[in-house]
Amino acid sequence: MAYWPHLYLLFFILVLWLLEKRFPKVMERAEESLLIIVISSIMAVSFGQVIARYGFNTGWDAALEFNTVAFSWLILLGMSYGIKTGLHLGVDIVLNAVPARITKALSLFGAAAAMLYGLILLDSTWLAMLGVDVRGGAIEYWSKMFKIGIGSEELRYPEFVQELFGLRPRVHRWLVLVILPISLAMLSYRSLQAFIDIARNKRDMLISGHEAQDLVEENKNALKD
Amino acid sequence: MESLILFSLVLVLLFIGLPVGICLGLSSILFITFFSHDSLSSVAISLFGAGQHYTLLAIPFFILASAYMSTGGVAKRLINFAIASVGHFRGGLAMASVLACMMFAALSGSSPATVVAIGTIAIAGMRQVGYSKEFAAGIIANAGTLGILIPPSIVMVVYAASVDVSVGRMFLAGVIPGLMAGGMLMLAIYVVARIKNLPSEEWKGFGHLVRGGKDAGWGLFLVVIIMGGIYGGVFTPTEAAVVAAVYSIFIALFIYRDMGPLQGKTWTNETDADHARIGFNGTVYGVSFFLVWEIMSFFVFADSDTVTGGDRAIWGLIMSVLIALFYVHKRASHLEQSMVSCLVAGMPIWGRNLSLMTRSFFPALFGEESRKVMLDGTKTTIMLMFIIANALLFAHTLSAERIPQMITEWMLGVGFNWFTFLIAVNILLLIGGQFMEPSGLLVIVAPVVFPIAMELGVDPIHLGIIMVVNMEIGMITPPIGLNLFVTSGITGMSLAKVVKAAMPFVLVLMVFLVLVTYIPALSTALPYSIMGPEIVQ
Repeated sequence: MAYWPHLYLLFFILVLWLLEKRFPKVMERAEESLLIIVISSIMAVSFGQVIARYGFNTGWDAALEFNTVAFSWLILLGMSYGIKTGLHLGVDIVLNAVPARITKALSLFGAAAAMLYGLILLDSTWLAMLGVDVRGGAIEYWSKMFKIGIGSEELRYPEFVQELFGLRPRVHRWLVLVILPISLAMLSYRSLQAFIDIARNKRDMLISGHEAQDLVEENKNALKD
Repeated sequence: MESLILFSLVLVLLFIGLPVGICLGLSSILFITFFSHDSLSSVAISLFGAGQHYTLLAIPFFILASAYMSTGGVAKRLINFAIASVGHFRGGLAMASVLACMMFAALSGSSPATVVAIGTIAIAGMRQVGYSKEFAAGIIANAGTLGILIPPSIVMVVYAASVDVSVGRMFLAGVIPGLMAGGMLMLAIYVVARIKNLPSEEWKGFGHLVRGGKDAGWGLFLVVIIMGGIYGGVFTPTEAAVVAAVYSIFIALFIYRDMGPLQGKTWTNETDADHARIGFNGTVYGVSFFLVWEIMSFFVFADSDTVTGGDRAIWGLIMSVLIALFYVHKRASHLEQSMVSCLVAGMPIWGRNLSLMTRSFFPALFGEESRKVMLDGTKTTIMLMFIIANALLFAHTLSAERIPQMITEWMLGVGFNWFTFLIAVNILLLIGGQFMEPSGLLVIVAPVVFPIAMELGVDPIHLGIIMVVNMEIGMITPPIGLNLFVTSGITGMSLAKVVKAAMPFVLVLMVFLVLVTYIPALSTALPYSIMGPEIVQ
């Protein structure tokens, strides 16, 4: 198996790191905007599809596939964003009960575990090198798709792209799946960042205790006497 | 043995504070790595596959719809309407709070959002007229849980997706239990109010009620769109959710104008002449009726061959014109102006509003406030979907190891029948609901208990409702009840105090749980009479 996808991913993370160091505000806003664009595009396509079907008895064949793929992209892009912003839910009952030193240690362990999750799913070769009987991972699957070059079911490239690059009409499956290794690499990277931040006491926890933490924070003690 | 390792791994990782999603996912991965010979490629691809469940795609849009509907003004309108309808009973304000929570629950699928939106207004109001803070907080914490029982409900979508039953039937099944739970809470309040001699509001007359209803109507019509669309056979649940989201955005930005560039701009100004306002109102009623008619008749007649779109439009037009004329006639009778001059004078108000809406259409849609609401909705979606995606992974690992079958065989072997089995399910979920987010817990538990339930002849829809009610109670029982945290957060009361305040009403919900568990007809009667029975392969 070739290692060039790994290098590309590493390069991508490095570029991201440099950009975020140089323009932190812009990159943060860009990441949020990307998520909003993905969810809005699903909404636009679905709503357009409803109007087209009931109003004009027509529609876009690939709408369903577009929506489900975009939904997957949203979830995958979101998981690293969730680590970065401490969005993911967890049980904080123990973390709040033990002394601060242990809380920190457990949070560090949590960040390391999240990184482990990302790295194993990305490519388990490194585990195999350690003598564990395991194989496969996102990169391997993606490389296979890239080599075979099959297309997706309904999604097609726009006409001008087809002509410009002389492509077959159907969108390559590897292009749809490319988010998988990228997002897992991002997840590992964000977990590493979280690990460092927790170690440096810049951040307390990896998780949020309950789903309404922001909501409560905004209305904190709104009714206190 | 191996499965014991899997479960204890999950529990340990959960309690030392890993994100729930990571905890489920990592446990599955480690299990596959060390105990099975599956390739991790298939695990990675099934992470991608979470988004391929078309039913789950309804979740982000129900969240978005409720995010737009949660902007302050809607809650206030619902509370006003609720007070106008039940405020005059003894303990009326408290009952109105429950009613407002029920209505809000119908607009949003989320309990904490209900507690915050209704609670911040209603608790303050209750205290002003002399209720104790504890009583008020206890009511809101309990009534807030109705959010996941009254459709549309995200938890129901998750259940339907994970065991493959129809979302439409689940939603319908939640209607009677939802109304019943609300009714039981109100009844309990009434009894307490009689004993404690709590105050009642004065009855302000039907005019007040109608005005409240009109104000809240734009929001409540969302329910009609969702339910009507699904049961008219027009929309899939996912489409209904998308339409609901678009409708909410439109209502919040352009009709209610609680946010965005139109915020604070009223439809009619003080400076408009009386007869102009009457003319304008009349046409508004006409146009609103026409839109409502078009949508409702579309749901009913969409598949009909005999009634065409043109027919519907003509009938709607005639009725709308009649309504507009009637209103203007009635109101203008004491003025000097003729009906025609009223209607003509109303036109400039239309012109002003339409040009206002056109000019600020794009600024409103893409403005900073919209962006924030969209981002909030997206965050909630991400948080839920990350858990669900990993729970799917976990459920997949369980079934690959034949663990659900093993549990089924064991449970049947020791002689569980449907009665004792449902007790076991209730206990399992009540305990589990303490520690896990409801949708994540459902994704894991549902595939395990579902086959057993089918074996014992429990109805799939009924089982779903039992699970949802359990999740509800899990939200208000210590140590980790979401609504308790939220209530304690907004009131500044300590958690222990909130627990104590909520406890009497939790007992009511417990009684309700028993009723729902052992009277299947409560859940199944409505969906099966409308849509026919659910058939499970």
